[in-house]
Amino acid sequence: MAHNFRSDVAIDWCPGCGDFGIVTGLTQALTELNYGPNDVVAVSGIGCSGKTPHYLNMAGIHTLHGRSIPYATGVKLANPRLKVIVTSGDGDMLSIGAGHFVAEGRRNTGLTIILYDNEVYGLTKGQAAPTMALGEKTKGLARPNVFGKVNPITMALSSGYSFVARGFSFDTKHLKELIKKAMIHEGSSFIDVLQPCPTYNNINTMEWYRGKVYKMDDEKSWDPVVLPDTSAESVSEKFNNAYKRGLEWDDKIPIGVFYDNRAIPSFVKRIAEYLPDYLNNPPAEQIVAGTDGYTNVDPFKTFADRVI
Amino acid sequence: MSNIDLNLSIGGPQGGGIDTSSNLISRAFASSGYNVLGVREFHSNIKGRHSYVHLRIREERPRSLKYPLDFLVALDPDTIFEHLDDVSTGTIVLYDTNDENAELAQARMIMRDTAKRINGVLQENKLDLNVKGALALMKKNGAKIMGIPFSKVLEGVELDGPATRYYNVLGASLTLSIIGLDQKFTRDSLKHIFGNKEKVIALNVKVVDAAYKYCRDNGLQGKTLPDMDAPPRMLLTGNDGAALGKIMGGLRFQTYYPITPASDESSILEEHEDIKWLSNENKKLASGGITVVQTEDELSAITMAEGAAITGARSATATSGPGFSLMAEAISFAGIDEIPVVITFYQRGGPSTGLPTRNGQGDLMFAMNTGHGEFPKMVISSGDVEECIYDSMKALNYAQRYQLPVIHLIDKNLANTSDFVPVIETKKIKVEQSLKTKDKSDFKRYTLDTKNGVSPMGVFGKDIFWMTGDEHDELGHVTEDPLIRDRMMEKRFTKLKVADDEIPDEDKAQVFGSDHAKVTFITWGSQKGVILDAIDGLKAKGIEANMLYLKMFEPFPSKFVDKILKKAGTVIDVESNMTGQAAKVIRMNTGFEVTNFILKYNGRHITEDELISATSDIVSKKKKIVVLENGA
Repeated sequence: MAHNFRSDVAIDWCPGCGDFGIVTGLTQALTELNYGPNDVVAVSGIGCSGKTPHYLNMAGIHTLHGRSIPYATGVKLANPRLKVIVTSGDGDMLSIGAGHFVAEGRRNTGLTIILYDNEVYGLTKGQAAPTMALGEKTKGLARPNVFGKVNPITMALSSGYSFVARGFSFDTKHLKELIKKAMIHEGSSFIDVLQPCPTYNNINTMEWYRGKVYKMDDEKSWDPVVLPDTSAESVSEKFNNAYKRGLEWDDKIPIGVFYDNRAIPSFVKRIAEYLPDYLNNPPAEQIVAGTDGYTNVDPFKTFADRVI
Repeated sequence: MSNIDLNLSIGGPQGGGIDTSSNLISRAFASSGYNVLGVREFHSNIKGRHSYVHLRIREERPRSLKYPLDFLVALDPDTIFEHLDDVSTGTIVLYDTNDENAELAQARMIMRDTAKRINGVLQENKLDLNVKGALALMKKNGAKIMGIPFSKVLEGVELDGPATRYYNVLGASLTLSIIGLDQKFTRDSLKHIFGNKEKVIALNVKVVDAAYKYCRDNGLQGKTLPDMDAPPRMLLTGNDGAALGKIMGGLRFQTYYPITPASDESSILEEHEDIKWLSNENKKLASGGITVVQTEDELSAITMAEGAAITGARSATATSGPGFSLMAEAISFAGIDEIPVVITFYQRGGPSTGLPTRNGQGDLMFAMNTGHGEFPKMVISSGDVEECIYDSMKALNYAQRYQLPVIHLIDKNLANTSDFVPVIETKKIKVEQSLKTKDKSDFKRYTLDTKNGVSPMGVFGKDIFWMTGDEHDELGHVTEDPLIRDRMMEKRFTKLKVADDEIPDEDKAQVFGSDHAKVTFITWGSQKGVILDAIDGLKAKGIEANMLYLKMFEPFPSKFVDKILKKAGTVIDVESNMTGQAAKVIRMNTGFEVTNFILKYNGRHITEDELISATSDIVSKKKKIVVLENGA
């Protein structure tokens, strides 16, 4: 029987919160991919999104504000067999954690990053998050937002993420398919999930999004996939198309896969090039002592260049 | 057998190959059976500013360095100016005669304040404000000035590129020849340094030969020193020692963000990521090697290491003060979530960026108090290269045994000290594993059903459990239940008490020297060696001294320290900081108040001579605080 990925911890998100759709999409994706309970680990930061691992019946860490990506990277590199999911909010990932977000694009470790994007800091009562537009005045704000917004899609593309997508938490079926694609992607995958906050964001509501989102995948000509044999010219064209779509945010907001480059080796693979046994015998599984309990390392041989 | 004890400094511009000079001298003496201790001093600069290595060469292993120097080797004019105070009667000053007319005012790479000070000294003595003037002052102070025209020595020698490129090897070779080390050892040493770069070795052999020939022809060559039998040894710095100890201790995952003087350790680990196994049996083991990750910042370094630790890899990170500041929050997380992780903390001069390439011990209390909230952590410290090796193994063991963050303090002086380590014992310390789960059906990562506060470890990929920075229940889920909160706090702190009971005294503090000493030094870190030498030196002067050497600060060996200090005579705290932090820790834990201090906080290492003289000032002149000021 398939594993039940929902834990028995009561969810304390507000009624109508977009986060519910993400947990549903995620658990359905894991079930359909036929993963076992010990195949996956969930890592989150702080905030409403940070509670996600507790709601999942699999190993998880609810880490520090902004640090979900490096924690997740440590897990993945110690045992690359594991599928590691990062569930993090817009403030957590694109403000305090922005440096890690960019660095992870460069690394392309092999994480699946799900951004809970509602443009506000929910758990601290509605302050503006980095994804909120300049001049926007939600009911949680005393005066209009004085900051400009960052664009998670183009930021991910610029940082080097090899899989970039956007989902809508009230289209769970579509989101589930995106998560499945993201999880089987070898490099790092990023999904920006539009996830309305019913308590503090009275502008970007479920209805507001419903009237705007459209699926790029419905277009026959849309092909974001780059394979190892794709020509450099074509790669550049696909990247530019993804970037252009990423800038759309008016009457129409695209959801679906923007970019799916399968030719960029993951960080895990890059390490394996230097350490040939890394994948067979990753750090978490190495035997670190001899049968007598003492070190199995020969210091004089390992440090031969220091011997006089 | 000649009984040599040589203190030698070789200085030149940063980037001018001082490391090679130092290595050449150290390894040549090592091949001949002698022991060498060396400390590297340098500015935070890539090329040009003054850098030097201070070496001490003896048959017995040297433990400290001493002024005045027996040899000052100047590869540039700055060295002559900077080391004016380090020479005295009998010091041989070897310099390039081409530098004689170099003006102090033209030496742009000398720090402005330093130049001003030297200017004053030369003017006071009515001497020329150039190298000649400085040399004249040295001569007046008893030094033997030995000018050698470097370019002339290499005249006619066919080299690749300008001759000045070889001045570092030339200076070292001239020195070795004048001291009287057989030419063959100097030549052999090149092979150690340049490995398999045959062409480079061949070129430098020519330089060595030219240096020895020049000394022979000009009657400068010293009487050949006898060579001795010596066991195979390893030439290791504190950075090397920590890296080697980590490898032997089972480390398989290391993260770092580049920072002086910590990142050398990670580079060394990267160079040696391919582990060589001890026995044939182990050869069959596949080696995944050590995964070393250069992260985007220190926040990432510590959290990535923690992520790997929870997944079952023995993991660590290394940093120094500014980086450690950034790690504080994640160390607190490791505290509440009981994550076994080691932070090797290389101290340097602070506050802030402070003296980024100089020594300091100002971070003891910071390390002890790091992180918000109350949680058990361990803080240990090393004082010499061998300790760096074994303490790194112990740090990994403590982390696994008690499931907590372990902070391992090493100061910059020790990190950049090179020493010969004759024996590395692979059977000295067992590699301990964490307590593992027995029944996985209902796994509670933070079970309260434990006597020693240690719950069985869970590992991602094998066990289902949760972790959170919030207070948690036995499963790892968030809770604010008042009673569970109390029990969790108590469970975590039980571990520290248990650690205090289990770990033997000698791993926490040691006493060296006489039981009936008039003077008891208290210290920690790299002053260990210099105090041991000072104890010998003081004995010759009729002052019996011993040392209480501290190795573990959390948990602190209160009873042991209290016992020693209660029966001590004059107690003197020796530290490389301004506020005597170890003395504060002692008072905090035992109530004993230390009132005599020998302190140094200018970023330079403490030498034997200044320590002995400062001790005399306290013992005879009843001074309370002596601040040491030597340094170039």
